[in-house]
Amino acid sequence: MIPDPIFDIRNVRHCHQGQPVLEMDHLVIQPQSIIGLIGPNGSGKTTLLNLLAGVDTPTSGCIRFKGGILAPFADATRFQISLLPQEPYLLKRKVYHNVAYGLMLRKQYRNQAVKVYEALELVGLDSEDFCSRPWHALSGGESRRVALAARLVLRPEVLLLDEPTAGVDSASIQRIKEAVLSARAEWGATMIIASHDWEWLEQVCDHVLHLYKGRILGEGRVNMLFGPWRSRGDGLHEKPLRDGQLFIVSSPPKRDACALVEHGALQVHGLQPVNAEGRHVLEALILNLTLERSSGCLLLWATVGNLDLYARIPPQSPGLHLLPGKTVWLSYDPQTVKWL
Amino acid sequence: MDFILTGLQTAILLLLQGDAQTYSAIAATLQVTGYSMSISLSVGIPTGFVLGYFDFRGKRQLRFIVDTLMALPTVFIGLLVYALLSNRGPLGQLGLLFTRPGIAMGQSILALPIVIALSATAVEAMDRQLRPALISLGANRRQLLFGILWEVRFGILVAAVNAYGRVMTEVGISMMVGGNIKWHTRTITTAIALETNKGLFSMGIALGLVLLLIAFGVNLSLSFLRKK
Repeated sequence: MIPDPIFDIRNVRHCHQGQPVLEMDHLVIQPQSIIGLIGPNGSGKTTLLNLLAGVDTPTSGCIRFKGGILAPFADATRFQISLLPQEPYLLKRKVYHNVAYGLMLRKQYRNQAVKVYEALELVGLDSEDFCSRPWHALSGGESRRVALAARLVLRPEVLLLDEPTAGVDSASIQRIKEAVLSARAEWGATMIIASHDWEWLEQVCDHVLHLYKGRILGEGRVNMLFGPWRSRGDGLHEKPLRDGQLFIVSSPPKRDACALVEHGALQVHGLQPVNAEGRHVLEALILNLTLERSSGCLLLWATVGNLDLYARIPPQSPGLHLLPGKTVWLSYDPQTVKWL
Repeated sequence: MDFILTGLQTAILLLLQGDAQTYSAIAATLQVTGYSMSISLSVGIPTGFVLGYFDFRGKRQLRFIVDTLMALPTVFIGLLVYALLSNRGPLGQLGLLFTRPGIAMGQSILALPIVIALSATAVEAMDRQLRPALISLGANRRQLLFGILWEVRFGILVAAVNAYGRVMTEVGISMMVGGNIKWHTRTITTAIALETNKGLFSMGIALGLVLLLIAFGVNLSLSFLRKK
C-alpha cells in the first residue's frame, strides 16, 4: 500500500516583488524519503524549502502537510518541520543554549543536556569542548554544524536542509551525510535537501529533482545548453563548440534561449555510427561513470569541446566497453531538444 | 583657577560628608529619571519593534516624524507640559505642576522618540536569517517577538542608554515643569544651574561629579551586559 504523502504541493505559485520565483504544478513527497533539489542560483530551491517550512506563505496554490493545509505557526508545522537555512543564524548565546533552544520552546527539559551532547556528537563536534563556546567563537563550518545539531536534537518528522555542505570541510561533509542518514534510520525523518553538490546529493538522496527558474525540469542530471544559436538555413539551429563540432537543435524561441537535452535522449555508441538516421552525432571523451542508485543505470559524464554532457546508459547495454578517458559517440534527435 | 580647585575639594567634602541638599538633588534626579525611563521603555520598545519589523502604509512618514522628534528642544517640551499641567491647561486638575511626576512626564516625552527610533533601527538591522531561524526551531508568534527582542538586545540597550543620558542631563523640562523647588523638585542639573548663578561652584562641581559617576556606572553596566 502506498503511504499518504507527507507533502502534497498543487498549483503553487510564489512571487517576490511581483516577479514569479516558483511555479509548481504538482509535487508529492513520500514519508521517510530523502529528496535532493539541485539547480542554478535563483532556481527556486530556497523558496520551495521556505514554503515547506512555513517560513513563507505561497502567493497562490496549496501545500498539504500530512493531509492538512500547511499553516505557518500551527503546532503541526512548527513542531514537526525544521529548516536549516542557507546561512544558518546562531543565536547570540553559547553553543549549548543554541542547540537546546528548540527543546526549550517545546518545553522539553527532561534529559536536555544528554540530548544536546548527543546531537553535537552526531555532527562531529566534541560536546565538552563546544558546549561552553559563545556563538562568535566558531568557524563557518562549525556554525553550520551547530545549527544542524540544533535541528537534529528536535528529531523533527521533516528536516529541510538548504546547502548543508556549503563551506564545510570534506570530513564534516561525511559527518553530515551520516547524520542525515541516521535521522531517517533512527526516527524515520523525511528530508529535502537543496545543494549544488551533485555527488553528495547522489550519495544521500533517493531522488534528485532538477529545478530551473522555479520549475522542476526533471529527475537526475539534465543537460542545459545556453545560446546564442545561429540558423543553419534548414530549419535547424547550431552552436559551434570549441573543438569544431556543432551542437544542432530545433528552432529556438529566441536567440539566447536555453536548451534542455534529457540524458535519456542521448544515446551512447562505442563505435562511430555509420547510419545515424536523422540523429546528430558528437564525438565525446568520457570523464566519469557513476551508478544512478534510483534507476540502476550508469550515468556517463562526457565532454564535447567545451561542453559537459550527461547520458544515461541502461543496465546491461551490450557492446559498450566504457572507461574514463575513452572516446565514445553521442547521438540525439535535434527535434527532441526542449526549450526553457 | 584657584576657585575651581577649591570648588573640587569642597565638592568631594560635600559628597563624603553626605550634604543633605546635595543628596536631595541626587535623589530627585534618580527618582524622576527612573519614572521617565520606565514609561519611555515600556511604550518605546514595543512601538520601536512594530516600526522596525513590520511594513505598513505610512511607515516611512512615521519614521521621519519620530526621527525629527528626537531633536525636540527640552525648553519646548517644558513649555508644552507646563501648558498642559497648569491650572488653565487640560490636565491642570491632576495637580502635577511643580511635582516630580510632572517632570517625569516631560522627560518621558523627551526620551520616547529616542527609544522608539533607536529600537526600530536595531530591529531593522537584525540579521535577515533570524526570523526563519526562530520559526524553524519551533517558535510561535509570541516566542518569535521575544526571541527577536533578545537577539537585538544590545541595540535596545544602546537606545536605553542614549535616552537615559538625555533625560539625566536636561535642564529645560526640570526647570519649567518642576520649578526647581529646594528639597522637592530640585534635580542635579537645575541645582548646578542655580548654584553656578549664585557663584557657589563647589556644590555645582559636586553635582557635576555625580552626573559623571552615574554616566560611568550606566556605561559600565552596558559593557558588562554586552560581555554576557
